[in-house]
Amino acid sequence: MQDFTPTTDETEIDRRTFVAQTGAATGVLALAGCFSGDDEEDEDDPDAENGDENGAGEDYGDGRPTIEVEDPPNAVYLPTHREAMRMLDPVEAGDIMLGPMLSYPHDFWTIAGTGEDAVERESPNSGRGVHMMFTLWDQQTGTVLPVDDGVQIRVYDGDEQVGSPVSPWSMISQEMGFHFGDNVTLPEDGTYTVEVTIPPVSVRKTGDLVGRLDERVSATFEFEYDDEFRHEVIGGVQYLDEAEWGDRGALEPMDHGDHGEHGGHDGHDDHDHEDEHDDGHDHGDHDGHEQDHGDEHDHNGHDDHAHVPYSALPQVEEYDGTILATADDESGADGVPTDHDSLPRSDDAAILAALFEDGSADAERLSDDGDGDVTAGQYLLVSPRTPYNRVPLADAALSVTVERGDDTIAGPDAVLAETLDSEYGIHYGLVVNDAQIEAGDSVTVTIDSPPQVARHQGYDTAFLEMPPVEFTVPEQ
Amino acid sequence: MTLPDRSTLSRREYARSLVAVGGATALSACLDASSDENGEENNVPSGTDDLDSLPARQYAWNEFAPRDDNGNVQPPAHHVLLPLALTERATANGEPTADAREVTESALRTLERAYEWSTDGLLFTLGYTPAYFERFDEDLPEVVDLPEPEALTSREDPSFDEFDALLHLASNHPEVVLEVEEGLFGDQEEPERNGVVLESDLTEVFERVDENRRTGFVGDGLPVEHTDVAGVPDAVPEDAPFFMGFRSGFDRTQASEDHVTIDSGPFADGTTQHVSSMDIQLEVWFEQENHYQRVSKMFSPEHAAEDLVGDVGEELGADSGLSDERIEATAADARQEGVVGHAQKAARGREDGDPPLLRRDFNTIDGDRPGLHFVSLQHEIEDFVRVREAMTGADLDVASANNGILHYIFVNRRGNYLLPPRELRALPAANPDA
Repeated sequence: MQDFTPTTDETEIDRRTFVAQTGAATGVLALAGCFSGDDEEDEDDPDAENGDENGAGEDYGDGRPTIEVEDPPNAVYLPTHREAMRMLDPVEAGDIMLGPMLSYPHDFWTIAGTGEDAVERESPNSGRGVHMMFTLWDQQTGTVLPVDDGVQIRVYDGDEQVGSPVSPWSMISQEMGFHFGDNVTLPEDGTYTVEVTIPPVSVRKTGDLVGRLDERVSATFEFEYDDEFRHEVIGGVQYLDEAEWGDRGALEPMDHGDHGEHGGHDGHDDHDHEDEHDDGHDHGDHDGHEQDHGDEHDHNGHDDHAHVPYSALPQVEEYDGTILATADDESGADGVPTDHDSLPRSDDAAILAALFEDGSADAERLSDDGDGDVTAGQYLLVSPRTPYNRVPLADAALSVTVERGDDTIAGPDAVLAETLDSEYGIHYGLVVNDAQIEAGDSVTVTIDSPPQVARHQGYDTAFLEMPPVEFTVPEQ
Repeated sequence: MTLPDRSTLSRREYARSLVAVGGATALSACLDASSDENGEENNVPSGTDDLDSLPARQYAWNEFAPRDDNGNVQPPAHHVLLPLALTERATANGEPTADAREVTESALRTLERAYEWSTDGLLFTLGYTPAYFERFDEDLPEVVDLPEPEALTSREDPSFDEFDALLHLASNHPEVVLEVEEGLFGDQEEPERNGVVLESDLTEVFERVDENRRTGFVGDGLPVEHTDVAGVPDAVPEDAPFFMGFRSGFDRTQASEDHVTIDSGPFADGTTQHVSSMDIQLEVWFEQENHYQRVSKMFSPEHAAEDLVGDVGEELGADSGLSDERIEATAADARQEGVVGHAQKAARGREDGDPPLLRRDFNTIDGDRPGLHFVSLQHEIEDFVRVREAMTGADLDVASANNGILHYIFVNRRGNYLLPPRELRALPAANPDA
């Protein structure tokens, strides 16, 4: 589990302090007392009151850990802590794999629209339960499925259904990438069975996904909810140094397979955490870590935790097409982004735009969504992703206008269709078969509405008010 | 079943929970509770011996219900849906016998003598499934569109009402729906109401399909009385008539009874009924979304931005504030706003601007979870399917979570019924003219 919750010496101290504070108070009241970020709510939280009655809720006082970040930037920022979670063995749902992950109920932000009023912070009012998450991916191609088509979960205690069914939110977090999740209240300790149903994946599909994932499928998994679980997910929380909270940057992905590629926070405010992250990936072992997490192995029944893919999109150089240059030339040679960090940003989303020429293998694949009625042509791919971790920004609405002097070559505001490709993942694309985009053309990508996905802390203030991004087609 | 504990419940809540439990004991407890309340026997207006004075349409309810200040029909508060299966002895060669018809008609007439045809008395319909009509050699007349129920979205996997008939009982008095059910199907002493003994041999004709019995309630302030049920959060607004916190059934969003009526053939003055039963996820709706988000998803993003709705829809009057422009903007809103409203979306299923459905849905806590029994009348089942497709909005470029209220509803059952005219309500043949 070493790469799963990487630590540094610095955070280790925080973690120990935290464990000392909460050591006597495992379970519900520790959750209610420690992790709700909203002080007002705590006061009338019955669980918090119970905690006081037991004499265990009173240790938190002013030193109580908090998730509040004062005045976070309107950009991706470092949250206060790294989450801990229990990963369960992935289960099969037809062609899809489902990797369940459980943590304590915690804050996140829902979004339904475009303005300030359309964003709401969810603060769980009961600490009794779990933050239930899962990643879905296609077994055949390994593609993470970052689209919300109405997944449903039903929780059972034996034969008895617990609470109402839930449609978990599609969500992004720095550590988990794109996943589905929600806070789920549980009445008491016990063994619960979760039934997940996944409707057909209705987004436009290309490559090896054409004609697949068209069936509703389901899977079930079980988990234990008890003191041991709570201790694990609370005890495993690691606080960052308070000086870093709210700094621009992102926590490294958990359990990602490409340690070497991560890092590179060049050009951003905080170089300290960048170093720390790079170190963190290589950390071999930490004594405290081993102690705290050794018991996890028993739950999973094997020594290595189940591998759940992280939804990172490909690096810039992996796109086998013409990477469009940014109009205001600040990044890389000739204005053409050469790596993730030199991509232009829109409300801190990194936007990659690539043009695939007519007749290229990529253009043919990306033009063919199995409907058979689209003539291949050039393919314009626009891929918004989070800075740092390259998490796809799904469920946005994007359009494009391509101009040459006073002539409009495509558009104005041609719809870029959200598309899931087996190679390039989720993106927004346009088949251009009634015109020809040429070097020198200007390509304006407009974000009609921002990604309608819920956000964990650190992503809640970015990708909301997204200005258009102008590209130009470079000379080959 | 054990009775609910009266000491911990308000009178209305107690009465509601008795309806859910049903049976003779619940009935007697309910009658005790209502006479305590009024200090005398509870008065329910009595019915008529002049049965010809009753409307030809079983679903002629609107003119026998009060209206609010905005002219919206106030539906009866308490509802029971009784699923019925024909007994073997009621049929000969697979078809219902003349005796069975007579027993059925006689039982229904008894009800009409005992109770006024009104929300203050008793309103009821008896409808029949496609499975019922299959027993006949003849087909239903072409003018009747009554397909087998089916799943209507890719995310649902409902069970279907495959029994024969459904008796929908409705009244503002919980004890009325209880005693009617007890009179028709109870095995204890027949209740008496307004000098009429509610005796019947209906059990000779129908068996009640107990596992599909459904109950519920609708009206301002009723949902909030159920916050003791797991899954019903305290945040349900005080005045809301429906669990999701908003009014519905605005006069101008409802089809008229005329509009949904089959107008020719033997089933003229009949209609079709769709009944779907669903769970509703209220905790996420109320605790994770704000009012602005809820209004955007229930009505339209513009309703939210312009604050058109009020807390529970009280600002909307007799319509849902859906101009043609707002309905037509649905697809554009999906892209530009990232969210579309349920009402806005469903209104795309209108034809020539007229709402095709007459909704008679009600809240439920059957199974101790919040939900909705969506009872809808329309000229053809196809009208319902069209509106449901518009409401599903698979064509819209919007995230599922922001696609109206799809994120919150979980359809468990669907059933289609023909509500014959009153004259043919007792075990009609598929083609009575043949």
